[in-house]
Amino acid sequence: MKAFNYSPEHLTSNRQLFWIAAVLGVIMMAPVAWIIGLSLKDNAELLRGTEAVFSFPYTLLNYANILESSSVFGWFMNSMIVAVGQTVGVLLLSSLAGYAFARLEFPFRKTLFIIVLFGLAVPEQAVIIARHQMFNWFDLHNTHIGLILPNLSSAFGVFLMTQFFRAIPKEIDEAAMLDNASTFRIFWKVLLPLTLPAQATLGIFTFLQAWNDYWWPLISATKSDMYTLTIGIASSQTNFAQSEGLGFLGAQAVFASLPVVIVYIFFQRHIVTAVSGGAVK
Amino acid sequence: MSASISIKNITKRYDSVTVLDDINLHIEDGEFVVFLGPSGCGKSTLLRMIAGLESITEGSIDIGEKRIDTLPPGQRGVAMVFQSYALYPHMTTRQNMAFGLENVKVAQDEIDRRVNDAAKILEIDHLLDRKPGRLSGGQRQRVAIGRAIVKEPKAFLFDEPLSNLDAALRGRTRLELAQLHQRLGSTMIFVTHDQVEAMTLADRIVIMHNQKIEQIGTPMEIYQYPASRFVAEFVGSPPMSMLPINSIENTPDGVTVEVSGAGKVVTAIVLPPEFNATNAVIGIRAEDTAVVAAEEDGLDLTIKVIERLGDRTLLYGILIDGTDLIVEDSGRSKVKAGDTVRVSISPQAAHIFDGDGLAYHSQMEV
Repeated sequence: MKAFNYSPEHLTSNRQLFWIAAVLGVIMMAPVAWIIGLSLKDNAELLRGTEAVFSFPYTLLNYANILESSSVFGWFMNSMIVAVGQTVGVLLLSSLAGYAFARLEFPFRKTLFIIVLFGLAVPEQAVIIARHQMFNWFDLHNTHIGLILPNLSSAFGVFLMTQFFRAIPKEIDEAAMLDNASTFRIFWKVLLPLTLPAQATLGIFTFLQAWNDYWWPLISATKSDMYTLTIGIASSQTNFAQSEGLGFLGAQAVFASLPVVIVYIFFQRHIVTAVSGGAVK
Repeated sequence: MSASISIKNITKRYDSVTVLDDINLHIEDGEFVVFLGPSGCGKSTLLRMIAGLESITEGSIDIGEKRIDTLPPGQRGVAMVFQSYALYPHMTTRQNMAFGLENVKVAQDEIDRRVNDAAKILEIDHLLDRKPGRLSGGQRQRVAIGRAIVKEPKAFLFDEPLSNLDAALRGRTRLELAQLHQRLGSTMIFVTHDQVEAMTLADRIVIMHNQKIEQIGTPMEIYQYPASRFVAEFVGSPPMSMLPINSIENTPDGVTVEVSGAGKVVTAIVLPPEFNATNAVIGIRAEDTAVVAAEEDGLDLTIKVIERLGDRTLLYGILIDGTDLIVEDSGRSKVKAGDTVRVSISPQAAHIFDGDGLAYHSQMEV
């Protein structure tokens, strides 16, 4: 890392940079602060005017109402099941596929890998009608499986894991072969633990993407008890904002963001390396 | 529990490219054999074929009485130490060493006993709970050897295991490997392109060149009686000097050859009548030459470069016709670059190589 330069000219330019960053930070954080403020205010007070956000008293009543509201808690659980299910599934399938593409010899390996890569270029919108139709045939709409299945085949995940497995020296496999380990044991006990950085990157991205996913749940989950949080909150905004109040809506939004925030806090290091492209080393 | 290894008519091809061509070799039980050769000669491929990491196009490999080339690597009874050590980075030293034994369901107390014994032999018992990332190169190398020892294999295979070590550590580890071989008495095959490693470690050296075995012999046989011009130039430091032969005069005691424009060299070599003199050369090692007084018989050499090695001095010079010749002089040599000196050659120590590179040696004991 480059050492900080304390010369007056650099200090001035760094100060300017600081102020630009500070202004951008405020712009980005303002809606978040606004929502948190709303969530801490009484709904009746907010009906008189939202400027009430800037004055006391504040209350946690809206959060207490969430815990009592079966629908919000149900949506939260739906989101959690879908996000965790997708994350576990993607990690498992991408690791197995990545290992196979990187290490095993089988017919049409290169062709299949190109087909997988092609999947990166196909937008979800292009297949959504066909997918909707298929899920309809198999009666998978309004089920957790129906919400999890479509994103299990992650072209990005397979590509990432393949590249990571390829980066592991083949001599490690060979040493394990000489140690009389079976192919599965080499995968499970020797190579898979070495891919933990890639697993972390892929896991975080998959979880966040699944948690924030809006479009497929909007199509597949039409019954309110199968809503995920994103769909549930959106429907509250349009249907119940007046009856249940802005404060309650704000509390729902904050509640919905909590898992994402927690993931960021605990996996910050992995997210930074993933975004900076240095994850696969 | 070591065993002999028999390699019979082994050929390896990748599509139309032949990497090894009809290799035959028998390694005795408990022997330390070194595969020596330049990069790309096929020595590592041959080792990997014994280990089961490369398939065999033709031929067979037996360990003891059992044919093993049809078995998977883990069931051949061999252990291998890789150039990069190939330790499992996420496992501790103890786990690295125990992994192979766990795979064949050895009882836990037996695993502990073997790991502790090997660690004691290799003096790594204080490193058993460290992961490879926290070990030095030399320590990793010991762990890799320890991982091989605990398996109590029929043969140890070493694929250039010293090349990642610095010079001092390489010398020390070489010595330790020799001691380990004495202690275990196991069959060991060691691949290297470093002739010092080969000369110091081997019971026998297998010189490989152009996908074939060029010569098999003890280190001194290889050094004193190289089978070909390639072996003569590859083994020995400095390499053997090769002087083009102008004419050959046969006598019952040996031939006298005239080195182009530089004089005559008397040898104790008897050449067969069918000897092909076209492109023939005479080979001389530096230690078989001497700087002599100007009035004595010999070749005139103009010195270009001097290497002082303390106990001896190497003089790199050229003869009148421009041929290079390396001469050894005493450590206190007064010769300077630019001097022209007279050089004599020991008749018993000269070698003649015909146009095909085939060697002819003196019949007298060197």
